[in-house]
Amino acid sequence: MERYLRNQDAISEEDQTALSHKRVVVVGCGGLGGVVIECLARIGVGHMRVVDGDVFDESNLNRQLLSSRMNLGRPKTLAAQQRVMAVNPLVEVEAVQAELTSDNAPELLGNYDIAVDCLDDIPSRLLLQQAAKEAGIPLVHAAIAGWRGQVAVVQPGEDLLSLLYNNSRQEQGEEISTGTLSFTAAALGALQASEVVKLLLGRQGLQGELLILDLLNASSTRLRLT
Amino acid sequence: MIKVNTEDYPWHPGMTVRVLLDEKLFTFRHIIVRVNGEFVPEEDYEHHPILDGDDVLVLHLMAGG
Repeated sequence: MERYLRNQDAISEEDQTALSHKRVVVVGCGGLGGVVIECLARIGVGHMRVVDGDVFDESNLNRQLLSSRMNLGRPKTLAAQQRVMAVNPLVEVEAVQAELTSDNAPELLGNYDIAVDCLDDIPSRLLLQQAAKEAGIPLVHAAIAGWRGQVAVVQPGEDLLSLLYNNSRQEQGEEISTGTLSFTAAALGALQASEVVKLLLGRQGLQGELLILDLLNASSTRLRLT
Repeated sequence: MIKVNTEDYPWHPGMTVRVLLDEKLFTFRHIIVRVNGEFVPEEDYEHHPILDGDDVLVLHLMAGG
């Protein structure tokens, strides 16, 4: 199919077919989520559920790919759905305009291959990890603060996010003082999407490690957590 | 010698978590510290000893999206 011609041979025809049958739930449609959704739509993941209870505001314009002056005040999930449909109508996309809660998490993650953590606070991230664990599916995590970001893959039964956020009494991290930048969100969202695709295709990805990217110093570090 | 985020770092007597953080210029406010896998709460930084051969993990707390 001409649409996927430039995916080859990094993604074989067999891989492409496999991706078209995969189902991914992306929780959070902001800075990270917008990039993840864009990448997964273009590469041809068959079905995406996009979850967010928020609407765009002006402070999102510095980094959130799906935001524009035209959709301020409108749901992020609606923008995500419209973007996917505009880019690749072969991808089914379901928009869920809701915040993740312990009540709705089992239903939101049920019948999906992978969950993607594009959230922006610590309690929600830990809640999503627990929900993914209970659903028995991997979770691909990313978070950003200023020029830095991190990515990890949490397999069912692991609690890597509990190691990263251990006993934190805070809801936020360094981003409170450092902010969140456009290229950091783009870089980490792209890394996150690549880990999703590797998982979907059974390729070797991050395992028990945290990949930290420091864009200010143009450096990366892989730390073993387990 | 100790490990700090997988890299070798010279150990010296009297080293505590606080001393190490100061030496390594980990000045961010939101930090997670683990010594040999065990979480060290911030209130213990001043007194928690770092021993020769310890494996120390220092992570910046990040949660933005």
